[in-house]
Amino acid sequence: MSKFMLIMRATDEAVAAYAETDFAEVIAAMGAYNESMLKAGVMVGGDGLAPEAGLVVSFDQTPPVVSDGPYGETKELFNGFWILEVPTIEEAAEWAKRAPLTPGNRLEIRRVTGPEDFPADNEWVKKEEEWRANGYSPEA
Amino acid sequence: MSNYMLIMRTVDEAAANQAMADAGIDFDKMIETMGRFNEELLAAGALVAAEGLDDAANGVVVDYSVTPPVVTDGPYGDTKELFNGYWIIDVATKEEAVAWALKVPAGVGVKTEIRRIPSIDEFPSDNEYIAREKEWRKELIRRQAEKLGA
Repeated sequence: MSKFMLIMRATDEAVAAYAETDFAEVIAAMGAYNESMLKAGVMVGGDGLAPEAGLVVSFDQTPPVVSDGPYGETKELFNGFWILEVPTIEEAAEWAKRAPLTPGNRLEIRRVTGPEDFPADNEWVKKEEEWRANGYSPEA
Repeated sequence: MSNYMLIMRTVDEAAANQAMADAGIDFDKMIETMGRFNEELLAAGALVAAEGLDDAANGVVVDYSVTPPVVTDGPYGDTKELFNGYWIIDVATKEEAVAWALKVPAGVGVKTEIRRIPSIDEFPSDNEYIAREKEWRKELIRRQAEKLGA
């Protein structure tokens, strides 16, 4: 099994169209989609991002510089994500196709790296595994 | 307190690779600097979640402009600004989130975007699906705990 991240982006036009859709309808469509993934046992997590403008930190200079978001000229905003645990990227794409999204929206599907991508004997890799096992609790 | 997402992108991969090479940063060094940053977040009690992503070239994109949606090789269209990983942190203000973002061990060609994650409590609580989402978020936490305990 691998973890895949479904990264949602939309054009400005799609965001505007979405804003005019009945909110209860949007919630129901997303809810039903999320529930189908939960029932299939493939859902690991997901969150949506607030529509208000964010900030961007650029590391081109030292010290880094903070400016108003979004990133540079890109109009394709990052709006939310799901993480699924499925055997193949094809299966992740099958789930992605079922997302209740409208024209102007896209989902990028990327494999989430796991312990297999890092040297097992590295001190920091070992620490990271422990943190995850403890749910990122500062006391552990 | 609010959850903020720090979204990491490499906007100029060549420049980023060159800067790493110039600074003598190898893979082990990178893991160490990231590890130190994560440890600092953890010690402050601010870390909620974090993941890194595999190369964008191995990803695919699903486009909803046509019905049914079309799957193509990733990354997104002509954008060169790739999404590489993220942290979700729980802090009191946007300024605090920015203070953490400024400490990300990144260099030339890298940007981090900071966005607030709305809480489930910001949605209409009498909506059936919002009520269900509250339940399945608890269920996800239970499943994760089960996996970690296994």
